[in-house]
Amino acid sequence: MMNMNRLIVFSRTFRIGQRLLGCHARHAGQEELRLQQRRSIKTHSRHLAYAKDLFLGQVNKAEVFPYPEIGNDELEEIKQFVAPVEKFFSDDVDSAKIDREATIPPETLQGLKDLGLFGIMIPEEYGGLGLSHTIYARLNEIIALDGSIAVTLAAHQAIGLKGILIAGNEAQKKKYLSKLASGEHIAAFCLTEPGSGSDAASIQTRATLSEDGKHYLINGSKFWISNGGMADIMTVFARTEVEVDGVKKDKISAFIVERAFGGITSGKPEDKLGIRGSNTCELSFDNVPVPVENVIGEIGGGFKIAMNILNSGRFSMGSSCAGMIKKLIELTSEYAATRKQFNKSLSEFGMIQEKFAMMALNAFVMESMAYLTAGMMDRPGIPDCSLEAAMVKVFSSEGGWICVSEALQVLGGLGYTKNYPFERFVRDCRILPIFEGTNEILRMYIALTGMQYAGKILTGKIKEMKKGNIGLAIGMVSKKLRTSLGASVDLGLTGKDGVVHPSLEDSAKKLEQNVSLFGSTVESLLYRYGKTIVDEQLVLKRVADVLIHMYAMTAVLSRASRSISIGLRNHDHEVLLANTFCNDAFFKNNYWMVQLQKHSPENNDANIKKIAKQVLENRAYICSHPLERTY
Amino acid sequence: MKGSRCLHQLKSLRLLSHAGRLLPPAAAGDNGALFRLHSSSQLGGLQCPQREVLRHFHSSPACTKSQPAGFVQEEDKTRDKSLVAHDDLFQQVTKEAKTKATFNKVIDVYIKRDIRRRGHVEFIYAALKKMPEFGVEKDLTVYNKLLDVFPKEVFVPRNFIQRMFNHYPRQQECGVQLLEQMENYGIMPNIETKVLLVQIFGEKAHPMRKYQRIMYWFPKFKHVNPFPIPEQLPEDPVDLARFSLTRMANDWDAKVTVYQLPCTDITESGAEVTLPHIVGIQSPSQMEALAKHNPCRPVFVEGPFPLWMRKTCVYYYVLRADPTPPEEKIEEPYDPERCFIYPLQLDLDLGRDLGDDESFDVEDLDEGPVFAMCMTSQGDQATLNQWISGLQQSNPILGQIPTLFRLGAGPHELQGVGDADSASRSWFSSHVHKEEAHPGEEAEAVVEEEPRRSQGVKQ
Repeated sequence: MMNMNRLIVFSRTFRIGQRLLGCHARHAGQEELRLQQRRSIKTHSRHLAYAKDLFLGQVNKAEVFPYPEIGNDELEEIKQFVAPVEKFFSDDVDSAKIDREATIPPETLQGLKDLGLFGIMIPEEYGGLGLSHTIYARLNEIIALDGSIAVTLAAHQAIGLKGILIAGNEAQKKKYLSKLASGEHIAAFCLTEPGSGSDAASIQTRATLSEDGKHYLINGSKFWISNGGMADIMTVFARTEVEVDGVKKDKISAFIVERAFGGITSGKPEDKLGIRGSNTCELSFDNVPVPVENVIGEIGGGFKIAMNILNSGRFSMGSSCAGMIKKLIELTSEYAATRKQFNKSLSEFGMIQEKFAMMALNAFVMESMAYLTAGMMDRPGIPDCSLEAAMVKVFSSEGGWICVSEALQVLGGLGYTKNYPFERFVRDCRILPIFEGTNEILRMYIALTGMQYAGKILTGKIKEMKKGNIGLAIGMVSKKLRTSLGASVDLGLTGKDGVVHPSLEDSAKKLEQNVSLFGSTVESLLYRYGKTIVDEQLVLKRVADVLIHMYAMTAVLSRASRSISIGLRNHDHEVLLANTFCNDAFFKNNYWMVQLQKHSPENNDANIKKIAKQVLENRAYICSHPLERTY
Repeated sequence: MKGSRCLHQLKSLRLLSHAGRLLPPAAAGDNGALFRLHSSSQLGGLQCPQREVLRHFHSSPACTKSQPAGFVQEEDKTRDKSLVAHDDLFQQVTKEAKTKATFNKVIDVYIKRDIRRRGHVEFIYAALKKMPEFGVEKDLTVYNKLLDVFPKEVFVPRNFIQRMFNHYPRQQECGVQLLEQMENYGIMPNIETKVLLVQIFGEKAHPMRKYQRIMYWFPKFKHVNPFPIPEQLPEDPVDLARFSLTRMANDWDAKVTVYQLPCTDITESGAEVTLPHIVGIQSPSQMEALAKHNPCRPVFVEGPFPLWMRKTCVYYYVLRADPTPPEEKIEEPYDPERCFIYPLQLDLDLGRDLGDDESFDVEDLDEGPVFAMCMTSQGDQATLNQWISGLQQSNPILGQIPTLFRLGAGPHELQGVGDADSASRSWFSSHVHKEEAHPGEEAEAVVEEEPRRSQGVKQ
């Protein structure tokens, strides 16, 4: 409750700051604008917008450099927790069996409970381990080796009980968290409905206050609920009637529902492609009485809660995928080294080598992004890292999918059989781009959040430009001319006050160039589309992709710089990986940003839309078959 | 390619050759020269007198001017006579039966009767005119057979002067006319047609040009319709209604409902009552729109409107409403708590730049929504009321909305056209001669006739 309030207050002040900025920007040049911005944000405890600042073409280096470190006591904690979990997963978890039988055996579940994995982030006072985001991410690297267990645990603590943790009151926390932490009770998150994914307006489940005013009666059904069959405590979102300014309105509220309240029936578990051991089913609520004290937050405040839960649960996917890829590299490299063809081992073939390099790069980038984000979240205050977390999720889920499929490819036909675990990894991995917000919708979130932020600040300037302010226009043109003539962009990552190690200087320069170009691209997009950019999904997709790659570049630069500085083993390999990735990402970003220019030949958007329209109108592939008729 | 074409030519040649002599297989590999040689030798053997006579007319560049004139005069004289004869020929057969077989027989009789094929142009015109009557107007083999009536080789220009001027214009015109009739009926010529045309008129004559044009455009246009109508429309009126309604609705989700099947009942009083079929269509979005309709405003049942399906005309009725007045249109307010993940609207004071505003300034006329359509064989209010009450089962709001019937003159009023049709046909037959004299008009007349007759059929 308190946390929530703080969050709301915080965001409100922030919004006021933004509005202030907007007003000033109308009369001020860019220098003054930057000054204003710094001033207004200084009133808060910390800068919190690394990714958002990229939309303005600025690198907020204090936010991401140096790479976040953990304390020595935390290091001890990690050592203490990681080893037994690793041992448990290698000795006691039979992933093939879990996949085959589509259920996690009770003794495995008990083992997980004994290790405390059901309450990793629940504070110690409520019986949990009370660990930080960073250690949670670290443990997830190991847990992810079995997709079913990872999803079961994530549904339990990343979303299932998160509502109580971040918005529940003291009594609710006391009542529920200890049993949830021990794993005695398992939690589930009930938001999705047959007709509603991310659309709050189509939620049909309804909670009505009973006549005595002590209970809410919940009616409706929820769909695709992870842990739905075995959950004892559920966070249920339902429509409630709320009076706002004398008008009755339907708003979403969150409830803690115990299975023991009665009236809850769970359907048959879904037969899924992957993560088969996790339990997913439909839940029906038939007049389930929920006491009024089980409302999370205030009545009608469910929307914000759902959003915050979803936003906070995503960051760990980066480390999960990295853990999985690291395991895959071990498994496949052994095969590649021993298998001989034409008197050469597979590892000597360039195309096989490429796959391993790709896997290593991806694992390195995901890891860097995940721990950078986790480190940012662990900082004091209530950091809003939802944008960064979403970027980690999109990048790692897609990279993970490619890596898993390439790893299978190394083994060829063998990988396709059930004798090897690769096909299971492929199946399990396919869920990653789908759940916790599909990657498509997250890209919208990433791009639009930044656009909103940049738009607030740039509105004044753009309006001046549209009015025909000569001074601004000349400034713009000369700036563009300078960059096109090859003037280097200096955003302070290197040089005298630089934060990037000199061996990564080239890569840092590339990032700076990308950031600066991105800033002007965003400005021109805002100039062109204004608020109608919401409808330009293909544009937004590229904006999101560029941002994700710039964040990834930042993460690897930051991490590799730190590794060199403190002399971590094999840091030269890290430098190599970082430089390779930055080089690659630089070209991709440039390509996407060229596509974002209006009449660039690379921009195929109009054609793509036309093709899709014609196909969808006919609901079929409409070309006639080449063998259909003769002349 | 060339080999196969040659094979085709040979095949058709065999078809042509009355001797039916087999060609040596070696000829297949050869080209047109050989083929021409063969054909001419055959023709020479068979039609020697005729060929020589005709050669005499056109091949000699030194012939006097009076000679072609005399030929024309002679033609003029014989034309009427032969016309009567050709018509007679068809007329005689008509007494038996009008089928493809008899039509072919007439052609065979003509070919056998006169080795010189005198008056073949007139015969072909007469035959073209009679084709629809015999039901062979869409038969490619018949056209080819008809084309085969032309004597071969004789009209092929043999020097540049002949090629430059219109060589044998009447024959060429007749050939073009034949092709044009094929075109009007949508018949695509085949390789046999081409071989015949080359044999008759040569490579660069007008009929050949016509053929090439047809072959250029036909494949492009024949299948250009993205909503093709099948050659054979369903016979059953219910099936036909189902087909036409789905065609008009153009919505994949639209659902056809048969509210009543046609049946004949005998009432207690002994009178025979025929119940009309009622077939309706409605899509989910139409249902949604109807559910949102303001019950104070009436909906209208309007019709009948005609819909042509090839040669059949069907009539449909619509359930529609007047456009919603602007003051009643409510725009759904933006709810910031709508999407859990991303903002559906940006809170910005910036619009789209003019350069990126791709909307056209189109005068948008709101015609009002159409909620459902139906087809029935009997467009009276009672029948349509039955449709509305059927609709009401899935659209309960119809019970509260006043429904007005605005029915125009039904298809029955148009029955008079049937009489006009028969009248026109008699006019037509009485003008056959006249039209035969102007072959250019003929195809047009054929096309014109179609709708009239089909209207009669449909009733």
